[in-house]
Amino acid sequence: MQGPLIDTLVRQGVSRRTFLKYCATLASMMALPPTAGRAMADAMAAARRPSVIWLPFQECTGCTESITRSHSPTIEGMIFDMISLDYQETLMAAAGFQAEEARHQAMKENAGKYLLIVDGSIPLGQDGAFSCTAGRTNLETLKEAAAGAAAIVAMGSCASFGGIPRANPNPTGAVSVSDIIKDKPIVNIPGCPPIPVVMTGVLAHYLTFGSLPELDDKGRPKAFYGETIHDRCYRRPFYDQGKFAKTFDDEGARNGWCLFELGCKGPVTHNACATTKWNGGTSWPVESGHGCLGCSEPDFWDAGGFYKALSMPADPLKIAAAAAVAGAAVGVAVSFANRAKKGAAKAAHETTTLDDLEK
Amino acid sequence: MSLDTIPIHVIHSPPGGAVDPAGLSGNAPPLLRELLEMLRRLLVTGETAAIDLSALPLTPADLDWLKHTLGAGEIAITLQASGESTLDETACPGVWWVTHHNEKGTVTSQFIEVAFVPELVKAHPQDVEIGLEHLELLLSDL
Repeated sequence: MQGPLIDTLVRQGVSRRTFLKYCATLASMMALPPTAGRAMADAMAAARRPSVIWLPFQECTGCTESITRSHSPTIEGMIFDMISLDYQETLMAAAGFQAEEARHQAMKENAGKYLLIVDGSIPLGQDGAFSCTAGRTNLETLKEAAAGAAAIVAMGSCASFGGIPRANPNPTGAVSVSDIIKDKPIVNIPGCPPIPVVMTGVLAHYLTFGSLPELDDKGRPKAFYGETIHDRCYRRPFYDQGKFAKTFDDEGARNGWCLFELGCKGPVTHNACATTKWNGGTSWPVESGHGCLGCSEPDFWDAGGFYKALSMPADPLKIAAAAAVAGAAVGVAVSFANRAKKGAAKAAHETTTLDDLEK
Repeated sequence: MSLDTIPIHVIHSPPGGAVDPAGLSGNAPPLLRELLEMLRRLLVTGETAAIDLSALPLTPADLDWLKHTLGAGEIAITLQASGESTLDETACPGVWWVTHHNEKGTVTSQFIEVAFVPELVKAHPQDVEIGLEHLELLLSDL
């Protein structure tokens, strides 16, 4: 733990306006009210750097790949300077004994206070022999590290739900973090891989409020996973108008119509791709002309085929009826209604304070 | 296979800042009513507000339409802080079109702000203190 964050940033030559601008963008990505950026900036400026230990288990390093693409040299790098990343096998210079020693030291010095990040599932088959580090099974390592953690972040679909290793017939007996650890707060950040800024957003929330964000019934932060891809999709108006692409090269596809009939899982998938996009905001699957695979939902690999249309859209009647009455404006109305659900609409009438955000 | 057999649909933006009507979703006009309310509140209570454009299902044509309809005002502010930010007053004073870019020039977020002066433009008292110290240092060297 070191001094307030703003001091660290000033030492690195980051101006206050840069920080404010960053917070405004972060608030936008976290689907907080636009005026929340100011409140976040005030709180984050005073935050202190927590110790973070990152354990990779049965994974493909795709999550790490995704997250490392987000920071240096972009502004997300700031967040990584704001935490003390004490153990990360892929990124750390140390190896072997020294690496393990660094982890034990960090766990001892910050007992009860460090944030534990896990990517990859944990195999239980053959007494856990399918995946070992430093001669110990993932199960042992997880239990040991979880004991002293303040909270755990399950990074990616494998750590959150078992992911691809758990796909039928699950040869290694893979399970998720929450299948094993029951006595610690766990936040799931699913996705294959997750969106980089979702990860930094959760860390920012932890820094800002000293707690984990509000979660849905699957343990995912509501700020990012509160709405479906479909509800935030820019092609949504075409769905409401009944304009669908029937194949990948027909007129509808070329006109950018809705990909529902080509198997898009957007209506049942909760993630932030439609608003944050990928590769630094360049594009995202639907904008590139391919339906959503649903990678942030449990067992997406076994969900019956990527190109098979959903048998029934989520909440079709409610949305269709509203569309018929209100016409094209319904997209905006739905968005505002969703925000209201989060209690954020209040902010439209009053200046947002830190207390409002914590509700 | 020759290139001609691959179907490509090229969309050209109409010249002169006009908006392509085919791309409009109909979601943009209601935002003007939202702005109307916000602007009224600014006058009565002095309270600022903002619309987060990246959080709404707007097509690129919708954004063009909004920008075109709101028009350009007298002030255009450019901020250099980890990439360029532009804070441009629209033809409706008090309504600002704010765009943040990162170092690579990509748009990271976009807002319509309703305020007399956008928050980001004002100098923070702590920064002014640093400025004061700097000025004193300059004077002591004279």
